[in-house]
Amino acid sequence: MARFIFRSVISTIVTMFLVSLALFLLVEVGSGDITVKILGVFATPEQRASYRAQLGLDQPWYIRYLDWLVGNDWRVRSRIGHPLVAVPNPQTKELEWWAQVDGQLVRWEMREGHLFALVRQPDGSVLEQPADDQWQQTPEGKEIFWGVNTKNSAVKWVRGEGEEVYVLTSAGMRKEGDGPQQYIPLRKGLLRGDPGTSLQTGRPVSVTLFPRVRNTAILAGMAFVVVMPLALILGIIAGINEGRLVDRAISVSSLALTATPEFVTGVFLILIFGIWLKIVPAVSVFLSDRAIFENPQLLILPILTLTAVELGYIVRMTRASMVEVMNAPYIRTAILKGLPYWQVVLRHAVRNALMAPITVIMLHVNWLVGGIVVVEAVFGFPGLGSYIFDSAIFGDFNAIEAAAMLLVSIAVFTRLVGDLLYTFLNPRIRYS
Amino acid sequence: MTTAPQTIGSRARPNPLAKLWGSLSLVFESRIGTIGFFMVAFWFALALISIVWTPYDPNASLFGQNLPPNAENWLGTDHLGRDLLSRLMQGTQVILVKTRLPNGWVIPIGVALWGVLGSLTLGTLLGLNAGYRGGWTDQIIMQIQDALIAFPRIVLYLVVIAAMGQGDLVVILAITLTGAPGVARLARSLALDIKTRDYIRAAETRGESPWYIMFVEILPNARGPLIVDAMLRVGYAIFAIGTLGFLGIGLPPPDPDWGNMVNEARRFIYTNPLAVLWPSLAIATLVIGLNLFADGLREETTRYQK
Repeated sequence: MARFIFRSVISTIVTMFLVSLALFLLVEVGSGDITVKILGVFATPEQRASYRAQLGLDQPWYIRYLDWLVGNDWRVRSRIGHPLVAVPNPQTKELEWWAQVDGQLVRWEMREGHLFALVRQPDGSVLEQPADDQWQQTPEGKEIFWGVNTKNSAVKWVRGEGEEVYVLTSAGMRKEGDGPQQYIPLRKGLLRGDPGTSLQTGRPVSVTLFPRVRNTAILAGMAFVVVMPLALILGIIAGINEGRLVDRAISVSSLALTATPEFVTGVFLILIFGIWLKIVPAVSVFLSDRAIFENPQLLILPILTLTAVELGYIVRMTRASMVEVMNAPYIRTAILKGLPYWQVVLRHAVRNALMAPITVIMLHVNWLVGGIVVVEAVFGFPGLGSYIFDSAIFGDFNAIEAAAMLLVSIAVFTRLVGDLLYTFLNPRIRYS
Repeated sequence: MTTAPQTIGSRARPNPLAKLWGSLSLVFESRIGTIGFFMVAFWFALALISIVWTPYDPNASLFGQNLPPNAENWLGTDHLGRDLLSRLMQGTQVILVKTRLPNGWVIPIGVALWGVLGSLTLGTLLGLNAGYRGGWTDQIIMQIQDALIAFPRIVLYLVVIAAMGQGDLVVILAITLTGAPGVARLARSLALDIKTRDYIRAAETRGESPWYIMFVEILPNARGPLIVDAMLRVGYAIFAIGTLGFLGIGLPPPDPDWGNMVNEARRFIYTNPLAVLWPSLAIATLVIGLNLFADGLREETTRYQK
């Protein structure tokens, strides 16, 4: 048993590693030029190259993979010579990178060939000091400086050789003189809880992802609460009445439900309940961040759609398992020895029959995710599914990778739980 | 399942197509299997007919917009005044009978079927190796398969399409990748069972290579469950194609796509609610047909095994 658990956990960790590698390669290496999406099709090659460098995309993929996974502040630290810390901005609460020099938080800026140190004061404001005495001599006779700039990158400035760079502002690309020669965007890495910055919104993924995850968790959780008891009961009823009219009715309708795509179910539910009967809102219009709590009827149609999609599959599963158990010799024995029928069903059959569906349901989380992407697209529901869809269309790799890794970890984790649950429920494995 | 008894020493083997038909024709023994067969055959026939004839040009705006069903347009028209019946018929082609290559060529057999063939090939290759060889090969293949299964399908579709763009071949690749782990798992369990048989011992004693044993001895004996599974997978594939079409990232135009037809029609659901119904019904009946067909086939192939 302990050996089995150990093996499952190890295998899960290896799986997660493989998935992260595959995902990273597929998204980051396979996708096209992201600057086309951010800067538009009319940007010049110089502007693109400059922006790619600012995003750190000029580094080889394995370096970027490591940065993405475990961060790079520990790697960059030796170049800057000071510890790097991420401190929340007093206004936005988003993390900013600072170098810690003699107990003070410092960033640097180069203007008109001169270096300035920006020292953060305890109240959050910034004090500017000239820092031209900090240039370092290189053997080739150049003066260089590695520091943290105001855009959370570690950068290399060379004195007297300000690179011409293009900075993205709200009004478009702006050309600047005193630019750095090299950029390394600082990040803590996924494993330390920092999935990076969204390219689409320019804000940290962790900030924008959270409300979406909450919305989807509420939606999927409520659908789960509705589906599970209903599906198991219907499946058991169909299973003990094998071949009768009840069974036929339940089986045929669950087959029809399984074979109807989510988007069709959603569209028909909108047509019937939202447009003809007008009893529930037909789309999920979120006027505020907390709309889901203020206006719970927004959830009704999405939940119904998810229910319809999931119901058929679990009912069929439970029915098949129940039929198999009811034909087992020990059930015949129980009936023949004169136990009341309901007792045979409840005490002998159901316990064994539910084992298969429960583990399969755990595996089924993957399917639920597919359903969620479609349901959120149909209803305009701002959840994780629409987040991942939008990011994939844009090519926003930090956002896709974060959302996908979250979904994969949920899927892998539930499967691990399913495995353990199965071991626990099944004495034949438990005692072996 | 065996056909005529073979004379000893004769090298003649039954033609593989006849063998496949031998296992498929069993389905007519079962009532639901027969129903399923005719539902699937109906759509195949429609696809073949649409190659030579559709009532009107499926991509031409010939009529009024959003017309309800009438004598001229049996299923009505869409928001651009195109005949829905013609579009529905034409939409069957890409799924079932033709695939468009990027250079403009068209090859027979539809996207859903190529996708399933792909996952069947990749899946049996991995699964048979894992099951028959065992040991480290098994460990590594199962680990890769676990990683692929861990991806939610839709995420894999989105990522593959985001990375490689739209196109028939990309959809085929996405279906192959998502289907292969499931096939591999099934093929592995079948191989684990079959490799304990005496005829495998005999082949090993004769000195046959592992590849010969896997593909000539094990695979033909594992074909029943694999075929049933493949039928269900065609259903999933059609489902997936519909979903991608609905999200607007599926099979590219000019050929109509059922999922995309639903997406276009739902925007005009107030004026023409029936336009949503037809493509939805098409997807649902085709998938149900495949499900029934697979159920019937499974019932008949496992009837004598209990």
